[in-house]
Amino acid sequence: MSVATERAPAAVVPPRAWWRSRAGRVGAIAAAVLAGYVALRGDFPWPAQLAWNTLGGELDDFQSWLIRQRSADDQNIAFAVFDGFRLFVDDLVTRLNDLLLWMTWVGTAAAGTLIVLRFGGSRAALGIFAAFASFALMGLWEESIQTLALMLAAVALSLLVGMPLGVLAGRSDRVMRAMSPVLDAMQIVPAFAYLMPVVILFSVGPAAAVLSTMIYSVPPAVRITALGIRGVPPNTVEAAQAMGSTRLQTLLKVQLPLARRMLLLAVNQTILFALSMVVIAGLIGGRGLGDVVTSGLYSYPARALLGGFAIVIMAIALDRATAAIADQTDPARRHLTDALRRKLRLATTATAAGIAAAVALGRLLGAGGVYPDEFETDTTIYGATIQGWLLARVQAVLEYVQDPSSFVFGLTEPTGNFLVQYGLEPLRVLLVETPWFVTIAGATAIALVLSGRRPALTTLAMLGAIGVLGVWEQAMDTASQVLVAIVLAVAFGVAIGVWVAESPLAARVVRPILDVLQTLPQLVYIIPFIYLMPVSRVPGVVASVLYATPVVIRLVATGVREVAPAAVEAASSFGATRWQLLGKVKLPLARDAIMLGVNQGIIMVLAVVVIGGLVGSGALGDEVARGLQRNEFGQGVVASLAILALGIALDRVTQGNVRHRQRRAP
Amino acid sequence: MKDRSTSRWLVIVLALALAVAAAGCGGEEKDEATGGDATTETAGGATQKDCGKVVLNEQAWAGSTANTYIAKYVLEQELGCEVEITKITEIPAFQAMADGKIDAVLEDWQHVDEYKTYIEEQGTVVDGGPLGVEGHIGWYIPKYLLDANPEFSSWEGLKGKEDIFKTAESGSQGMFLGGDPSYVQKDKELITALDLNFKHVTAGAEPAQVARWSQLYKQEKPVIFYWYTPQYLNQEFELAEVTLPERTTDCKDDAKTGGDPNQYKCAYDTTIIMKLFSKKFADSGSPAYDVLKRMQLTNDAQEEVAKAIAGDKQDPDAAAKAWVDANQDTVQPWLG
Repeated sequence: MSVATERAPAAVVPPRAWWRSRAGRVGAIAAAVLAGYVALRGDFPWPAQLAWNTLGGELDDFQSWLIRQRSADDQNIAFAVFDGFRLFVDDLVTRLNDLLLWMTWVGTAAAGTLIVLRFGGSRAALGIFAAFASFALMGLWEESIQTLALMLAAVALSLLVGMPLGVLAGRSDRVMRAMSPVLDAMQIVPAFAYLMPVVILFSVGPAAAVLSTMIYSVPPAVRITALGIRGVPPNTVEAAQAMGSTRLQTLLKVQLPLARRMLLLAVNQTILFALSMVVIAGLIGGRGLGDVVTSGLYSYPARALLGGFAIVIMAIALDRATAAIADQTDPARRHLTDALRRKLRLATTATAAGIAAAVALGRLLGAGGVYPDEFETDTTIYGATIQGWLLARVQAVLEYVQDPSSFVFGLTEPTGNFLVQYGLEPLRVLLVETPWFVTIAGATAIALVLSGRRPALTTLAMLGAIGVLGVWEQAMDTASQVLVAIVLAVAFGVAIGVWVAESPLAARVVRPILDVLQTLPQLVYIIPFIYLMPVSRVPGVVASVLYATPVVIRLVATGVREVAPAAVEAASSFGATRWQLLGKVKLPLARDAIMLGVNQGIIMVLAVVVIGGLVGSGALGDEVARGLQRNEFGQGVVASLAILALGIALDRVTQGNVRHRQRRAP
Repeated sequence: MKDRSTSRWLVIVLALALAVAAAGCGGEEKDEATGGDATTETAGGATQKDCGKVVLNEQAWAGSTANTYIAKYVLEQELGCEVEITKITEIPAFQAMADGKIDAVLEDWQHVDEYKTYIEEQGTVVDGGPLGVEGHIGWYIPKYLLDANPEFSSWEGLKGKEDIFKTAESGSQGMFLGGDPSYVQKDKELITALDLNFKHVTAGAEPAQVARWSQLYKQEKPVIFYWYTPQYLNQEFELAEVTLPERTTDCKDDAKTGGDPNQYKCAYDTTIIMKLFSKKFADSGSPAYDVLKRMQLTNDAQEEVAKAIAGDKQDPDAAAKAWVDANQDTVQPWLG
């Protein structure tokens, strides 16, 4: 089972000649593509006869049809279903929001803290309390509660849909295979492409916001649940079946309990994915912190940053709380005696009583639903928040960033220009001007070398589809930016990941930074870079790198850390130095994890393409953004499909044979 | 045994949630009851039909914040309405009006396609007439640049001098900084039609575009870009407009549809900013509808309030109140 034993025989085989190695063959293919570029550049753009140019228009017609159906007097019966969902979710979110306000800010903060204290322990409870305190001090209580209510509903519904699907996918390979491309599409197709249809079907408001969030947050719930079910040792399942358990019994009594940790990880990841949709959900009536970010961007960037930080705080607090609850309530870890059980029951009662008391206290004292901006006594008014102070600090940072004579600007501007002149632009020209058939043949050949025949065929089909969609040139432009971003993300990710794996101190320093980068809305952290690197395409690339690197770091660090200790010990007993150990043992053995990191990094980079479009990346991201903003629905969908195809192609080229090996491994 | 403890845990959480939810529902009813009392009181006191709740949609930019909060203050103060402000993005806002989720949008920059669908064909959205604010799109340069090169006052003066605007990403050409891709524009076509040696560079959404040109402005470097009035930044930065060829009758502004660049070869037309209402709101007989329909603002007024909000970072409610209090002669006619 361990990677080390599987790969041990490779060590005795003499190294192959370089031209027969993977790197050699990929290099040769790249050289051939380059030769094709030099010989035939610019002569073969994608032929117009091979493009389905009317697709955009047909999609537009579909949208108009949908709008007409929506307002028709004899409405299609299907709309009753949509209306039902809308009423249900609108009601759910509104009630949740009203409840949190009715409990007053004192009661709400106490309830959150006490529940987490009971089930997750004091550290996590402190985190939740700190989160509520910061919403209050930031003066963003109302918005935070709106977002919290929306997110609780979205996460609950995502799990309700995702976990059963995950169980199905975990128990059947066929279901998994059928669902996998759908899940890919849900994660890669930019939300901007489907917001308008969602609004036509569900109008604006909580329901539309929840649904758009779910499209992004259901896939992790399905995937991780399926992974958990698959991870249950088959002999346990067989034993249960041998003892005459029905399928349902096996599921409920064996598979689900044993997959418990993975199920809780699914909850945790669903929360983080859902929270990354807060800003987009705000565009169609999600309200709350999303609105703070969006409108702040135009008239008060410091406020947008503040709203972004509130989202981060919410995400990190919920992440830590769910992880702590998972830990503390793990039946395998605590040994319940009758005395302990009684004690716990008492603690639960005390928690409930505490919440009730806090709510009662809040209502009796006349605390509002929303934390106030100021406290009044008979004689004086005290400011209750430090919003003004915080805004002034953030503003000061922004002003430094905006100052073109600052020291940092002196470094970042040339860096940005360098990246355009020697990275992005040459690569764009290369990809756009190389004859399309050379590019497709090259990519397919590389996929064949790196990943095998099936992935190569998929790559061929996807690149062909991009051409047929009629956006070859834009897609190659986007591809050039995506490739630069991936190279940077992988370079930083591997370097930092190894460092984190080797040094516990680094791990402690880096983790909170990664959390922030993964949950801060991209539109927020992109603001400083728009000023610091004022050249189109660069802020978009920076955003992609910042968003994708954390995932690479995490996967690489886990991979390096989990290298079989036996192999490391053996090498060090032969007197390998630390660097030799790293270069000759750990990195080669962690290769699969690193490849998975590259692969996931690509998906993340593609998820940010549209954000790039909003800060000047042009190409596909621009078309998707315009699709919503100027109602060029068809073109937006076409560009989104091209992003999806590009994502699948890049995924297949780089997946290596990771999946093969995973399938073979027990 | 493991199972039992997990399920008990679940039961406890569920019970707790139910209990809290039940408490919440109980409280809600109470709140509604008091709310009901309040409404009857005002209805008894006021002679007019009760205003109730009005939902205004604010767009992301500061000008829209200004006119939305002015309307909010007037409706709350004069009619006792309860005003809710939503921030739905532009195109979905039309569907929201059609569904009656939004009552009014006060600043719409001529979404002609949506007018056709929602106003003409469906009749679910009502044309509320012009707001009084007039939008103007054009090519702008910093004042210092015009002072140094007086010939830049017109597009003809740019000819042959485009390389002054060269940047890292425009190569040998000058850089023309395009507008927010979601805005009406035709600059790529204009550049071709006027045979200027500019490379059209997209900076992305408005905040990003502002970041780009304001950065160059602060360095006193040359920059030419798509810009418009009314815009509060026009009070912070000294900008000058470059004259484009005069308008002809069949000249077009929105190059969304593409085609021959020469059909766009003229200055942008003035954009009449429209107010839009949900049909349901217009038919509701709400006094708020009449007030909003009569509401009129000038470019200067809107820019002033927008500057207070976005430039001086005042609270929107406070900025609107200050303006309304100081401009009663403008506001009174809205009340009829």
